[in-house]
Amino acid sequence: MSSVATTPAAGEIAGLSPRKRKVIKALDVFGLIATVITVLGAIFWAFPLYWAVVTTLKVENDIVQPGIQLWPQRFTLDAYTHVLFNTKIGTWYINSLVTAASVTVGVVLISSLAGYAISQLNFPGRRILWWIILASFMIPIPALIVNHFVLISQFKLFNSWLGVILPQLVYGPVTVIIYKQFFDSVPRELREAAKLDNANEFQMFFRLYLPMNWGITTALAIITFIGAWNQFLWPFLSVTNEQMMNVTVGITQVTDAFGVKYARDLGSAILAGLPVAIVYLIFQRRVTEAIMLSAGIKG
Amino acid sequence: MADIRLVNVSKHFGQVRVIENVSMTIESGEFMVFLGPSGCGKSTLLRMIAGLEDIDGGEIHIGDRRVDQLPPSDRQIAMVFQNYALYPHMSVRENMSFGLQNIRMPKDEIARRVAAAAKTLELEHLIDRKPGQLSGGQRQRVAIGRAIVRDPKAFLFDEPLSNLDAGLRVRTRIEFAQLHQRMKTTMIFVTHDQIEAMTLADRIVVMNNRKIEQIGTPMEIYNRPASRFVAAFVGSPSMNFLPVQKISDRDGKVLVKLPDNSEIQTGIAAARLPGDGNVTFGIRPESVKVSATGAISGKADVVERLGERTLAYVRLADNSVVIAEDEGQSRLNVGDQVRLDIDGAAAHLFDAKDVAYSAA
Repeated sequence: MSSVATTPAAGEIAGLSPRKRKVIKALDVFGLIATVITVLGAIFWAFPLYWAVVTTLKVENDIVQPGIQLWPQRFTLDAYTHVLFNTKIGTWYINSLVTAASVTVGVVLISSLAGYAISQLNFPGRRILWWIILASFMIPIPALIVNHFVLISQFKLFNSWLGVILPQLVYGPVTVIIYKQFFDSVPRELREAAKLDNANEFQMFFRLYLPMNWGITTALAIITFIGAWNQFLWPFLSVTNEQMMNVTVGITQVTDAFGVKYARDLGSAILAGLPVAIVYLIFQRRVTEAIMLSAGIKG
Repeated sequence: MADIRLVNVSKHFGQVRVIENVSMTIESGEFMVFLGPSGCGKSTLLRMIAGLEDIDGGEIHIGDRRVDQLPPSDRQIAMVFQNYALYPHMSVRENMSFGLQNIRMPKDEIARRVAAAAKTLELEHLIDRKPGQLSGGQRQRVAIGRAIVRDPKAFLFDEPLSNLDAGLRVRTRIEFAQLHQRMKTTMIFVTHDQIEAMTLADRIVVMNNRKIEQIGTPMEIYNRPASRFVAAFVGSPSMNFLPVQKISDRDGKVLVKLPDNSEIQTGIAAARLPGDGNVTFGIRPESVKVSATGAISGKADVVERLGERTLAYVRLADNSVVIAEDEGQSRLNVGDQVRLDIDGAAAHLFDAKDVAYSAA
């Protein structure tokens, strides 16, 4: 296949400089096809995002015109200024930040402790507990919603941060499983050395196992934070007071209060997603590095 | 500094017995080496002393305390692991301080001890590095440093040299000997390397198949092995073993007749041997010399030139092979007919139960 492609190319490039000839020869036909497919895929995936951003910069009247306008005729930031100054998005951000951060700290702490206990401690029922955690992995979260609703209602925690946070703490069986596997792979001698070094279980956990797996903790924390920030169903059900809404729920209020205005809807959606995108962009390299570091410790 | 006493210590994993009724005393300040092949139970025994394995029977005493029911941290011992077991995310200083911080020792005392250990082990310039930035030998020294700062009653070393390359292994071995001379603390060292055992130990415990074969000084073990296993395991190249056609008594000492009808007068008292006459003859290669006047003849199968001496693998008339020594500048070639002179006074005999008999 490659010889079919390169033979005519060699004839065509006879008059070119040796450097250019080399470059063209180096072109791998399969690589080219793969690149084209990837670029097309990326465009296909990114187009809705592009369309949303471009729409928020258009005048509302231009948006509803028939036909496709790939670039705004008239630029405006009205949609953003409206969402920022005429809605409670600041409060929603704070609610989202507090609940997502609390869920992250809670999930990481509980999962790492559970993973450590199952991986390193000998206690009656350890195996059964492990099976229960594995089994809970199979249950879709929405199936628990009614339970959560009744519980939170009985605790009278609707319209509170705690009511949003608590049910989300059980979303972490996969985090427990990952922690257990990482703790399992810590060499046995390190634990024995720590035993001889007078370390109790808390010192072993907080000074050895957790710091040695810092990479995976960072990665899990970021993933949990993004998941908690993007959570919609439970915050939507557990909060009716606009003052206590998360940003994902709050942006639905923009539509309700002001009718269908596409630029505002999309503007609020973009503002809701922006912090998460920034968090990921900032920590993207750290997540990769952190995972590689964890792998290095085990080497 | 304390002595360590083991009384009828046993251990099994499920149905498999890994240590059977082991008793011994390691004197205070002694350098004791547990020597044996892989799987003989020597590391398990060390881990039982450390408290990392429970014992199923018997008693362990360190100093005047019975410790077999105490957790490892209460036994006042320090251990250096085969792969060092340094905490990878902590610096050298933190690795050495960790154990002391856990017992809430004052910070200035920790700093003083770490500085002293770092100086002793020449680690001062590496003190803020992480283990990943150190060479094998440096990691080894950090692991020893971590043990030293605790000022333990005894040091336990679990094959600490086995991860080092040959040159570094020899240097570190010498450092271990110097460390013991300086600290004069009780040390137990586990190894499968007989040279390490011979060079370091005050006494050696030779173990095989879950049991102690012999306890003795290196030269006792070498000169007067208690069993055929000990005789074969200690010494390089290994001892020669030859079948015996007949034994007889000459002047109260055993006269051995080998299958090729050659006779060797040993220094072993005839009265000590069992009556059945079923014995094997053992002789170390350095006691078998290539000599023009030797009583035994054979053909050189292999010739190994080691520089200071030459080893010849000589096939005798009955097809058994004897390793013999010749001078470093030997002109011996493969295929040559050679005569061997055996020093009967250095010979050993082994009965049907592999019990050894040596000249008094």
